[in-house]
Amino acid sequence: MSTVETRPTASGAARADRPKRPNPWKQVTGSLVTAVIVVLCVVTVDAQWSRLSEAPGILGDYLRLMTRGVLQNPMADPNSEYWTKAFEYMVESLQMAWIGTLVGAALSFPMAFLAARNISPRPVVFVTRQILNVIRAIPELILAIAIMLPIFGLGPLAGALALGVGSVGTLGKLGSEAIEAVDPRPIEAVSATGARPLHVLAWGVLPQALPEIVALWLYRFEINIRAGAILGAVGAGGIGSILTQLFAARLWDRIGITLFIIIAVTVLVDQISAWVRHRIIAGGGKDLAAEAEALS
Amino acid sequence: MTATTSAAPARGRAMPPKPRRPWGLYAGLFVCAVITVWAAIGIDFTLGPLFSDLTRGQEVVAEFFRPDWEFAWRVREQWIETLQLAVVASFLGCLLALVLAHMASDVTAPPWMARTLKALLAVERSLPDVAWALLAVAVVGNGALAGILALFAFNVGVAAKLTAESVDAVDRGPVEAATAVGAGALQRAVAAVLPQVMPNFLSYSFYVFELNIRASLVIGLVGAGGIGQVIKTELSRFQYSHISAIVAVFIVVVFVLDQVSAWLRRRLI
Repeated sequence: MSTVETRPTASGAARADRPKRPNPWKQVTGSLVTAVIVVLCVVTVDAQWSRLSEAPGILGDYLRLMTRGVLQNPMADPNSEYWTKAFEYMVESLQMAWIGTLVGAALSFPMAFLAARNISPRPVVFVTRQILNVIRAIPELILAIAIMLPIFGLGPLAGALALGVGSVGTLGKLGSEAIEAVDPRPIEAVSATGARPLHVLAWGVLPQALPEIVALWLYRFEINIRAGAILGAVGAGGIGSILTQLFAARLWDRIGITLFIIIAVTVLVDQISAWVRHRIIAGGGKDLAAEAEALS
Repeated sequence: MTATTSAAPARGRAMPPKPRRPWGLYAGLFVCAVITVWAAIGIDFTLGPLFSDLTRGQEVVAEFFRPDWEFAWRVREQWIETLQLAVVASFLGCLLALVLAHMASDVTAPPWMARTLKALLAVERSLPDVAWALLAVAVVGNGALAGILALFAFNVGVAAKLTAESVDAVDRGPVEAATAVGAGALQRAVAAVLPQVMPNFLSYSFYVFELNIRASLVIGLVGAGGIGQVIKTELSRFQYSHISAIVAVFIVVVFVLDQVSAWLRRRLI
């Protein structure tokens, strides 16, 4: 509205006021480069594209077999055993993910403070961030094969610890960003009372950043449930171990049951976790609003 | 704002009321503690081996510290295959995701469609990458095609979800303007929504590419092509010095890609 009033009334000048057409060369080169790379990859990749034509039929057959497995009476004799077995492995996956997330949370918590620019001196921030970046680049699978399985032996404990160390990278980085985003005024207020640095962290920074950080933990828990699936394939416990066995034996009805349980449990846990995350973050805001109301 | 409160005659009111005891929080912490104990017992949690059996893994770890760099170069074709899989799968996946995202948002699609599609995407995302890879290998056999299909299936859900959230958050003004001049659903999407979500979408595409590079390790382990397949063979032959060289290169590749894509994303948004 205000722009209309300040605009010159002469029609000749109005035309000059029009915004310039943006220069498209960036978009054009970007798209061209992408197109060339993609075409090059499609042409050179050693994929038997001809098999794609039969794929829908085969997939349809398998899906039919899988649904039959799911729809069979789950109380009948061999089936109930399949259901409980798949469920037990899924529970083990959840346990692995939970402990893994806790280990990751415990290890990343101090690192998040060391990597926050508003808390730590520059060199410390730089070094910690590089450490976190390197951890982030190592896949859980490698941690399991190279370190955890040789030390802790086959089983879910090795998987949980691989997930835990693997979580440190992202949790530390995102946690430090949450800490950097805190309001500096409470920190100033706490410092003004003559508090020591540790007290400033405990009363000025932590109350602000903790909801965000806990929400990150929960989010990582959701990711770890999925990430843990592959660890079973190398013997580190969880749903992945039974899944690879079933696929090797091509037991489609049992695969159907197992996939169904994975989907059901994962979606359920995701929903609960998302609800809790929402409560944690929005809950703090709501209390603040109530407090402001009480004050006015 | 503060002037009115400080000017209030009743001094006692200026003090915030003492917060009530957060019973909900206590209950939540209790539940978490119970879950933790249950999970710890379930997986036999102990840090004992760290002290007693730290040397048990010594041979493996020692092998890991003697990486065979020559081997990492010998399997260069698998490295290239990994990149090819990631490029093709990311491109196809993101393209489909862009369409699905428009169909999964209230802004550009009828509510019933948006809700159904969002639920379907949630189901799709709940299957881990290994499950997709196993399924793809079963359907089209070992090799690169299975890898492309598995990565594609795995990343469509992620990219579509993230983009749909951007579409949800779009400024409604241009959309209304497009509707007002009589634009159809497609025209509205292209003229009013797409320009707004494009920077976000491109940044998600890089993120998905990164995800695919990481996942290629997992995918290959069950026989769907790429560098993961090499790791699988070397693992069964206990050639840890080969694995460590590959892992080292892999970490460098992921690290570099991470930095490049972070730089690109900063430029886009």
